[in-house]
Amino acid sequence: MDQIINNLQQFWDYTGFANTTYQHILMICIGLGFIAMGIIKEWEPLLLIPIGFGMIIGNIPLYPGLSVGIYEEGSVFNILYHGVTQGWYPPLIFLGIGAMTDFSSLISNPKLLLIGAAAQFGIFAAYSIALLLGFEANAAGAIGIIGGADGPTAIFLSSRLAPDLMGAIAVSAYSYMALVPLIQPPIMLLFTTKKERLIRMKAPRVVSKMEKVIFPIVGLLLTAFIVPSALPLLGMLFFGNLLKESGVTRRLAETARGPMIDIVTILIGLTVGCSTQADKFLQLESVLIFGLGAFSFIVATAAGVLFVKILNLFLKPENKINPLIGNAGVSAVPDSARVSQLVGLTFDRTNHLLMHAMGPNVAGVIGSAVAAGILLGFLS
Amino acid sequence: MKRYNKFICTGLLLLFHFSLSGQNVIDLRLNELLIINTEDFQDDFGVQSSWFEIFNISYGTVDIGGCYLSNDPNDLKKYTIPRGDVLTKIKPRQHVLFWADNKPYRGSFHVNFTLEDSPVLILTSSDGKTILDMVTLPTDMEPNQSYGRVVDGEGSFGPNSDDSGWAVLSRTSPSTNNYTLDGKSRSEMMKETDPYGLLMAILAMSVVFIALIILTFVFKGTGSIALKSFQKKADAYNKTKKVSLAETSAETFAAIAMAIHLYANENEVHDIETTILTIERGRKNYSPWSSKFYTLRKMPERRNK
Repeated sequence: MDQIINNLQQFWDYTGFANTTYQHILMICIGLGFIAMGIIKEWEPLLLIPIGFGMIIGNIPLYPGLSVGIYEEGSVFNILYHGVTQGWYPPLIFLGIGAMTDFSSLISNPKLLLIGAAAQFGIFAAYSIALLLGFEANAAGAIGIIGGADGPTAIFLSSRLAPDLMGAIAVSAYSYMALVPLIQPPIMLLFTTKKERLIRMKAPRVVSKMEKVIFPIVGLLLTAFIVPSALPLLGMLFFGNLLKESGVTRRLAETARGPMIDIVTILIGLTVGCSTQADKFLQLESVLIFGLGAFSFIVATAAGVLFVKILNLFLKPENKINPLIGNAGVSAVPDSARVSQLVGLTFDRTNHLLMHAMGPNVAGVIGSAVAAGILLGFLS
Repeated sequence: MKRYNKFICTGLLLLFHFSLSGQNVIDLRLNELLIINTEDFQDDFGVQSSWFEIFNISYGTVDIGGCYLSNDPNDLKKYTIPRGDVLTKIKPRQHVLFWADNKPYRGSFHVNFTLEDSPVLILTSSDGKTILDMVTLPTDMEPNQSYGRVVDGEGSFGPNSDDSGWAVLSRTSPSTNNYTLDGKSRSEMMKETDPYGLLMAILAMSVVFIALIILTFVFKGTGSIALKSFQKKADAYNKTKKVSLAETSAETFAAIAMAIHLYANENEVHDIETTILTIERGRKNYSPWSSKFYTLRKMPERRNK
């Protein structure tokens, strides 16, 4: 009888109920919140649902030593998590992004690239504030990159600069990317006048195939020579784009932008979610990271909008840019461009800004990868 | 022609393979040596002998097995480093230590010569001819004083190397770095020099802007070249095809009118391309599930022997 009771006691000790803490429950609730946002509001469901479910998996209370948890060496989740910690997944995601991105709007109007550069200001503003709050320079750099609004870049950089903070940074970056439709419009409206919002931009010209093929090659050579540390991201981004634009590697491009990016998105989302284990995640630092991430995002959006306004001072009236596409300089592709379109339509139902906004949007991807490379070069 | 291409591809692959293999061992450098050892490092047998260190300067693992060591320029193959020993694989930016005690039976890392009274120390590739690195041994060394590269792996190397980069070191450092940082990481130094992040913000934003400004100008240039070439082609086409409205057939007008009508009222039959109005070509996608061929039983074939 004692033996049975002992076995039952041991079994009870192994169950999640015996090991539950209020932090686990809180994290599971946050995970459920993510899933709800993804399903009900349809905010970035491809990211929020894997991350949310990963949060639930990662916060099932475990008896230590079972080789099940994500931080236990040799467990399945630990092996999958290597793709995040070693930085394999982000370049693969960039390959897929490159294979699905049409850079035509950027090639037809190259000055839109500068908006993508201006929006990176959010990264460095958050870096400064993080330093003032007492973070080390490498951690501050990793936190600042949230302002780039680029999940894979944030994961890539934080895995190199501040692996301990990666869970919080990744979740923060993806959360704010999902909240783009909520965060950006008020800032866009705050910094623009009604007259500016009605600016009609010149239709982009037709871009030849040759230009589209040259773009990834020249783009890679120029940016990677300036910031070689961003090579994993830029190399894969432009390679994916060449697969798409060359016209002779359709199968490879379709795999990169289809099944491959889907697989990597599932793995990255799930493992990042799992990494938010309550004991590692629920700390004051995480709260600060979320706050700094929001600040960084707001500054990035404002910087993009304000830069367009400044740029307009030097442009001829027929070449003026609608500042409502300034927000798209952050690289949340294509959500921030979609926000430009939706906000633009509320003021003029016939003024479609989407194709114009895609220019700074994809420039933001390049800009944030370059910024990540610079931070890596300075701080690693 | 296809066979010819295969040969080229195979040749290129082999070349690539050999160049990679070559890349590996050429990353090895003689790094530090101690000739007279009376109070310094002891080997696993508790014996103090002269030693030397080899450094892998690359960021990949290099297997030193099969290479040769010698103290005689006329006999480059004096000591063969055994193959198949797991310890001969030198990890990225790591060192391996050899004991020059003339006792090779004590293991892979005990060579069959000593450094005392040796004029040189030579590391030769596995082909037995290519000298990877060599160093002329100084004759005026004090006991327990080491001679090495001031910064690990840096300085002249190869068959004609001089002593540049080498010096008598202030302390011996067998199997560790000759040169070490003062303990502060780049991140810590950055925080000290730029506590508010302003310098970083200015520098980094400048680099981001410079990179993207260069891209802007390059693509403005390629854009204007593309536009000019497009214009040229259009002009050439207009010159050769001077078709007046009067010469245009009624069928052409009917086709254009039909296309516009379909575009306006039945948009789904068109593919949408900027500035080009076309009627989408009907496609019938092939699928083995719908193929008649696969649904038929295959007729048996008679083979003539």
